[in-house]
Amino acid sequence: MSQRAKRKFFIAAFIIPTLVFFCVFTLYPIFRGIYISFFDWSGSAKNMDFIGLDNFHELLKDPIIWTAIKNDYFLVVGKVIGILLLATLFAIAITRLNIRGSSFYRVIFFIPNIISVVVIGVLWRYVYNPNMGFINSFLSLFKSEQVQTAWLGQENTAMWSLLWPSIWAGIGFYMILLIAAILSIPSELYEAADLDGASQGRQFWSVTLPLIWEQMKVSILHIVMTTLNGSFIIVWIMTEGGPDNATQVMGSYLYQMGFRQYHMGYAAAIGVLILILSFITTIVLQRLLRRETIELA
Amino acid sequence: MKQVLLSKTFRGDQVSATKQHPFYKMLTVLVLVLWTVAVLYPLIWTLLGALKDNQQFMLGKPWALPKFPLLWSNFTYVWETYGFGSYFLNSTIVTGASTLISLLLASTSAYILARFAFKGSGALYNLYLSAMMIPMILGLIPLFFLLNDLHLINKLFGLIVVYTASALPFGIFVLVGFFKTLPKELEEAASIDGAGYSRTYFTVMLPLAKSGLVSVGIMNALNIWNEYIMGTVFINDPSQYTLPVGIAIMQSEMQYRTEWGPLFAGLLLSMIPVIIIYVVFQRQIAEGVTAGAVK
Repeated sequence: MSQRAKRKFFIAAFIIPTLVFFCVFTLYPIFRGIYISFFDWSGSAKNMDFIGLDNFHELLKDPIIWTAIKNDYFLVVGKVIGILLLATLFAIAITRLNIRGSSFYRVIFFIPNIISVVVIGVLWRYVYNPNMGFINSFLSLFKSEQVQTAWLGQENTAMWSLLWPSIWAGIGFYMILLIAAILSIPSELYEAADLDGASQGRQFWSVTLPLIWEQMKVSILHIVMTTLNGSFIIVWIMTEGGPDNATQVMGSYLYQMGFRQYHMGYAAAIGVLILILSFITTIVLQRLLRRETIELA
Repeated sequence: MKQVLLSKTFRGDQVSATKQHPFYKMLTVLVLVLWTVAVLYPLIWTLLGALKDNQQFMLGKPWALPKFPLLWSNFTYVWETYGFGSYFLNSTIVTGASTLISLLLASTSAYILARFAFKGSGALYNLYLSAMMIPMILGLIPLFFLLNDLHLINKLFGLIVVYTASALPFGIFVLVGFFKTLPKELEEAASIDGAGYSRTYFTVMLPLAKSGLVSVGIMNALNIWNEYIMGTVFINDPSQYTLPVGIAIMQSEMQYRTEWGPLFAGLLLSMIPVIIIYVVFQRQIAEGVTAGAVK
């Protein structure tokens, strides 16, 4: 074999198996999902009727999907604000404030990120449990009578109760990202700011924030993506979308429609909706968050 | 360069810090301590619950410490009666196999994409990259029917296949970046010594990429160990359940058979391996997090 043929053979041998695997088990299902969304299909081989955009028409008239979209964006906004505020505060505290035991906090705060969402969901379900959980008994310390709130069981508290564990579970990851970003800022910049007499707060706004903006942006987009695609697992484990569909999110509704009620076409249409909304949200956010990025050579 | 930076980052070094108002500093420390409690208490509470019997759960005193004698039998009970032993084994098999296969498939492609430009190599890289931005839940339904046609439903091998595929984009993305940082002279030296392409790869490049492989492998292994949704959709046979699926099933059965102590013991059992991995590979995990998100 000539040198060129050898090279070609080597490239093919290293590229093709991976690509085939990826096409069959990642790309094909996505496109097939879009295709199915144009059909009325219960999953059995025979009855697959092309119905055009009917699933989508029906979807727009379905009150539950609107609740689901609202809930998804409630979680997106709540998580972006909650996670970024705390993760930034922690990252600054750990790197910039000379606090004793800072690496201890870094190690501890990441722990929820390595635990399965299922474990987190089940655990928090019991934390919120009206009788056995410690939230109510903690609140009871400040009140004369026993608090009996069913946090996950009533519509006005359920979504907020789902938001908290989502924030709890997410902070460590973004904190680590921001810590790395802050530590890559040259210390001369802070020394210069010190010489100019800039306060800690001033240094945050004028040095740290502009220089970690890129990572903040990545974090926001990442939270949005993972929430729209993955928040339904914690919802499914903690409330199954209830009470009365009040905590349904798009993903949990897809799961319910597909694998509980066997409306495969309708479920696929929900999947396409998730895809579209993720794209739109990402593009809009990228526009909104655009800002002169400062590159340090 | 990146490696240097990261290793500095995660040894806990601090950059020079400014003097600040003691009040704000105390306030910050207070917040840090409160969050430490918020993170650790639910976990400690799980441990305490795992040692209680139903009577103690019903008392309505969630703060109370478990009574003696501690019910360590809750652990053996879930392990044997609830099949956590087999869930554990299944999770280990699936996680181990998927992580290794995906490392092999991702690293070979990443090496080519980093070193051997060919027509369309840039497009291929972008294709893998964009897969990280696509909501995979859309593919869940077709994937179910695909596995069904391949007779891979209710088989651990089916899960291994889909987990391997889902781990590829992240692995390729990080490892392409990694291979690009390695000096080219090494390959040239190997080729002068007469080593062929694949021998150069397996004997020279792969060992050099070890730290990148470890980071990617651990990140993927954690994700796979914790994965629930594909596990629950593709596996309906209790003997093939993975841990997250088993826990979710056990939790849903709690309405009929109330065994809270064993449930908490099960939660804890499933967390132990990841916490050990985290303690041992803390730095590699932190590097995996940053490597994956730096665009």
